[in-house]
Amino acid sequence: MNENPADVAPELCVLIAAVLGLVNGLFLPRTRQWRVALVCAAGLVAGLVVAAVDATRPDLVVFDAFVVDPITHVTRITVLGATLLVLALAAGPVRDHPRESEHYVLILLSALGAMALGASSDLLVVVAAYLLASIPAYALAGFGKDAHGTEAALKYYLMGAFLGVVMLAGVTLLYGVGRGTAYGTLRAGLAGAPSAAVSAGVVALLAGLLFKAGTVPGQFWVPDVTEGAPPAVAAFVTTVPKIGAFAALLRFGSEALPPGAGGWPALVAVIAAATMTLGNLAAFGQDNVRRLLAYSTVSQAGYLLVPVAMAGRTDLARTALLFYVAAYAVTNLGAFAVVLAAGRDDLAAYTGLLRTSPLLGLSLVVCLLGFVGTPPTAVFVGKVLMFGAALDGRYAWLAAVAALNTVASVFYYLRWIVPLFRRPDGALRPARAASAVAVAAAVFSVALGVGAGVALTP
Amino acid sequence: MIVALAVTPPAAGALLLLTGRRADRAAPAAGVLVATAVLALAVAAAVTCPVARFAVLPGWPGGLAVDGLSGVLVVTVASVLLAILVFAAAYGYGARFFGLMLLFAGAMLVTVTASDLVLLLMGWEVMGAMSYALIGYEWREAEPVRSADVAFLTTRAADLGLYAAAGFAVAGSHSLALSALGGAAEPWRDLAAAGAVLAALGKSAQLPFSFWLSRAMAGPSPVSALLHSATMVAAGAYLLLRLHPLLAATGWAGTFVAWAGAVTALLLGAVALAQRDLKQLLAASTCAQIGFMVLGAGAGSVPGGTAQLVAHAAVKSLLFLCAGAWLTALGTKQLDELHGAARRYRLVGAAFGAGALSLAGLPPLALWVTKDEVLTAAAERSPALFAVGLAASVLSAAYAAKALFAVWRGTRTDGARVPMPMLARLPLVILAAAACVLGVLGLPGVADALDIPGETRVNGPELAVSGVLAAVTILAVRFARTIPAPAWAADWLFLERAARAGIVRPAFALARALARFDDRFVDGAVRAVARSGPWAAGLAGRGAELRLDGLVTGVGRGARRLAALARRPQTGLVHTYYAQAAVLLAVLVAVAVLAGW
Repeated sequence: MNENPADVAPELCVLIAAVLGLVNGLFLPRTRQWRVALVCAAGLVAGLVVAAVDATRPDLVVFDAFVVDPITHVTRITVLGATLLVLALAAGPVRDHPRESEHYVLILLSALGAMALGASSDLLVVVAAYLLASIPAYALAGFGKDAHGTEAALKYYLMGAFLGVVMLAGVTLLYGVGRGTAYGTLRAGLAGAPSAAVSAGVVALLAGLLFKAGTVPGQFWVPDVTEGAPPAVAAFVTTVPKIGAFAALLRFGSEALPPGAGGWPALVAVIAAATMTLGNLAAFGQDNVRRLLAYSTVSQAGYLLVPVAMAGRTDLARTALLFYVAAYAVTNLGAFAVVLAAGRDDLAAYTGLLRTSPLLGLSLVVCLLGFVGTPPTAVFVGKVLMFGAALDGRYAWLAAVAALNTVASVFYYLRWIVPLFRRPDGALRPARAASAVAVAAAVFSVALGVGAGVALTP
Repeated sequence: MIVALAVTPPAAGALLLLTGRRADRAAPAAGVLVATAVLALAVAAAVTCPVARFAVLPGWPGGLAVDGLSGVLVVTVASVLLAILVFAAAYGYGARFFGLMLLFAGAMLVTVTASDLVLLLMGWEVMGAMSYALIGYEWREAEPVRSADVAFLTTRAADLGLYAAAGFAVAGSHSLALSALGGAAEPWRDLAAAGAVLAALGKSAQLPFSFWLSRAMAGPSPVSALLHSATMVAAGAYLLLRLHPLLAATGWAGTFVAWAGAVTALLLGAVALAQRDLKQLLAASTCAQIGFMVLGAGAGSVPGGTAQLVAHAAVKSLLFLCAGAWLTALGTKQLDELHGAARRYRLVGAAFGAGALSLAGLPPLALWVTKDEVLTAAAERSPALFAVGLAASVLSAAYAAKALFAVWRGTRTDGARVPMPMLARLPLVILAAAACVLGVLGLPGVADALDIPGETRVNGPELAVSGVLAAVTILAVRFARTIPAPAWAADWLFLERAARAGIVRPAFALARALARFDDRFVDGAVRAVARSGPWAAGLAGRGAELRLDGLVTGVGRGARRLAALARRPQTGLVHTYYAQAAVLLAVLVAVAVLAGW
C-alpha cells in the first residue's frame, strides 16, 4: 500500500497554511490579521504549483482511498484557483473584522474538504470529506451574525444535516449489499446484489452529494444562503464545494458502480433535467441579483449533471465534466465579483453600468453571456462538450432538454444584460479589488474558451 | 526600340493627363520634346526594321514589327505629330490637349506596327476613344460633345467588324497574325474580310459612314489636322493596304473596296465642292482623298495607296493648320468671310496655296503623282473604275481651287492684323515643302527602295491628261460665275439624316417598345409579385398570425406560470424543505428501481 504523504502534497499545503493561519491569528493584533490572508494565499499558491507538477506524473493511489488521476488534478487546480479568487474577494469585506483570520482558515478548510471529496475512492472518506467541506461552510454562512446570515446558516446546516444522515444511511446500505466501502470492492460486490437495495442505497448516497452540488432535491438551501450569507461566502459556497461534489459524483458513477446498476444513467438524467428546468424557471422572475445568480447556479448544476449521468458510457463524459466545472467556477466567481464590486443586490442598480464603469460592466456581460454559452467563452466549449457527451451516450432527449433550457435561460440573463446599456440614473462606486477579480475572471473565461484546444490536449 | 516607339507617346500622354492642370505650363515643351524623340525613334525603326515577338494572350503569338509599309507610316505619323504639336505649342494648349494628342498618336503607332489582331484592336480602340475625347475637347459646350458622340458611335459601330474579323480569323486560321488571314479556311476568310472592310470603311469615313467626319470638325484645328492626316482616317486606309493579300485572296473584296473608294472620292468630292465652310470643305475632301487610297488598296496598288496616304497627310495637316491659324486670327472659317485672308497673312496664304494646288493635283506637286499612280492601277482593273476616278480627280481640282480663290481673292480692310506666333510658322513652311515634293514617293524605284510590296507603275500619257485636266479645272473655277452647290451635296448626301432615320430612330422605337414591354409585362409581373406580398401578408396577418401570436403569447404565459410554480417550493420554511426533499428522494428511489429493473 502506498502511504507516501508527498503524493497528497497539495492538500497538505492547504492544511499547513490553515493551521499556520490559525496559530498566527491567535497572536496577531486585530489590525494586522490581514497577514493571515497572505499566509493562506501563499499556501494556496504553493498547492497550485505542486498540483500542476503532480499533473504531469502517472496516476497512483494513496492510502488505498485517495486516487491521484486527471479528475483529482483538475479538481485540485480548480479548487485552489477558485479559493484564491474567493480570498481576494473576501479580504476586503472582512478587513479588521474581529475574527478575520478564522474567516480565511474556514475557507481553506472547506476547500480542503472539496479537494478530498473529489479525490477519495472510498465511501467513508467521501463522508469525511463531505463533513469537512460542509461544516466550515455552515459557520461561514452565519459569519455576519445578522438576522439573514443566521437564518441562512441555520437552514444550510439543517438541510446539510438531514441529507448527510440520509447519505450515511446510503453508505451503510451499500456497505451491506456490496461488502465493502472501497470503490473497487463495491464494483465487484454490487454486480450480484439485489437491484432494489442498490438503487435505494445509491439514491440515499446521492442525497448528500447532490446537497453539496446544489441540485434537486438538495437545492433548497442555495437561494436562501446566497441571498443571506455575505456575498463573498455566497460566491464560495456556490462554487468551490460544487467542484468537489461533481468530481465525487463522476468518480462514484464511473468507478464504484457496475454498468447499469442503481438505474444510473436514467436516475441522474432525470435529476439533471429536473434541476436545470427548475433553476431556469425559478430564475425568471427574480429582481434580486444574488437570488438570480443562485437559481442560475442551480440550472448550471443541472447541465453539469449531464456528463455525470453519462459517466462510464462515453469517454467524452469525463472531459466534458472537468472542462465545464472549471469554466463554471471561473464564470460564477466573475459574476459574484461584479455583485461584490457593485455592492448592490437589486437588478435596477445595474442600469447603465457599462457607462459608469465600462470595464466592470463588460466583465459582467462576458460572464453572463458565458453562462448562456456564447462563443468564445469557456462555458460555451463546456456546453458543446456536454451536448456531445449526451448525444454520444445516446441520451438525445437530455440534450434536447438542455438545449431548450439554454434558450429559456437567455431570457433572465438578458434581463440583467440589457439595462447595462441604458443611461445610468445614479453613480456607482465599484470596489477596486473585487473589480480586479471580476475583470481577471472574465479575461480568464475568454482565454480558457479561446485556448480550449490547448487545455483539452492533456 | 520598337517597343519604346510604341510605348513612349502613350506613356508620356498618360503622365501628362494624370498630372493635369499642374503640368499646363510644361506641357507644350514636354509634348514637343516627346514628339521629337518619337520621330527619331521612328526614323531609326524605319531604317532597321525591328521586330518584337510576344503574346498578349497566352498561346496566341504576335507582337510588334516594322516592315516597309509600317516604316513609312511610323515616320509619317511621327513627323505630322511633331509639326502639329509645334504649331499647337505656339497657341498655348494645356496638358490635357498634349496628353490626349500623344495618346492618340501612340495608339496609331501601335496600330500600324501591330502584327496580330489583338494588338491591332488595342491600338484601334484607344485611337477611337481618344478621337472622342479630342473632338469633344471643348466639353463645356453642348455641340462638340454631341458631335463627339455621333463620331464615336459611328466608328464604334463599324469597329465591331474588326472584332468579328478577329473571331473569324481564330476560327479560320487558328491564328491572330495579320499575315495568316489570307490563308484562312473558306467561309471564314470571306467573313473576316467582310468584317475588316467594314471596320476600315468606318474608320476612314468612306461611304456610307462619311458623315461622322463632318461632325469631327467640332474639335480644335490641330486635332482636325492630326485626325485627318496621319491618324484615325488613315488607319482605315492602312488596314486595307496591310490586308491587301486577304482582299486579293477573296476576289470580291478587292473589287468592292475599289468601288467603295472610287464612289466615295466622286460623291464626297461633290460634297466638298458644295461646302461654304472651309473646315467642312476640307473634311469632305479628306473623305474623297482617302477614297483614292481605298481605291488603290482595292485595285492592288499598295505603293500608290501608301504614297497617296503620306502625301495627303502632309497636305491635309498643312491645310488644317492654315485654317486653324485664320480661325484664330480672324474668328471665322466661312469661305465668304475669308476673302483676302491670304493676302493679310502672306506666309499662311503661300503655304495654303501650295497645299491647295497639291490637293488640286497640279503638276508637278505631290498629289498629282500619287493620285495618278492609283488611277493607273484602276485603269488596269476596269475602264469604268478609271472613269469614276478621273471624274473624282477633276472634282478635287475644283474644290481645291474654290478654297484657294476664296482666301486669295480681294483684300481685307477690317480689323487690326494680329501678329502670328513665330513658332507656328515653322511647321507650315516644312509641311508646305513636303506637300510639294512628296510626289517622289510615286516615282518608280522609290517605293522599291522603301520596301513596299507591289509594283509601281506610272502611265505617262495618263499623267499628262490628268495634269492638263487639273489646270483647266482650276482656271474654270477661277473664271466661273457661280459654283453649283446642290442641297444634297451641301448637306453631305443627307447621310446623317439617313442614319438617324434608318438606324437611330428605329433603334429608339424598338428600345421604347421593349421598354414598354418591360414596364407592362416584366415589370408588371414583378409588381404583381410585390402586390401579392402584402396581400399574402394580410391574409397571414388575419388568419395565421393571430393563431401564431396566440401560441407565442401562450408559451410566454405558460412559462411565467411555470416560473411562479417553480418558486413555490422555496417556502423559506425548513420543515417544508425536509418534506419535499424526503418525497423527492422517495420518488428518485422509485425511478432508480424502475430504471434498473
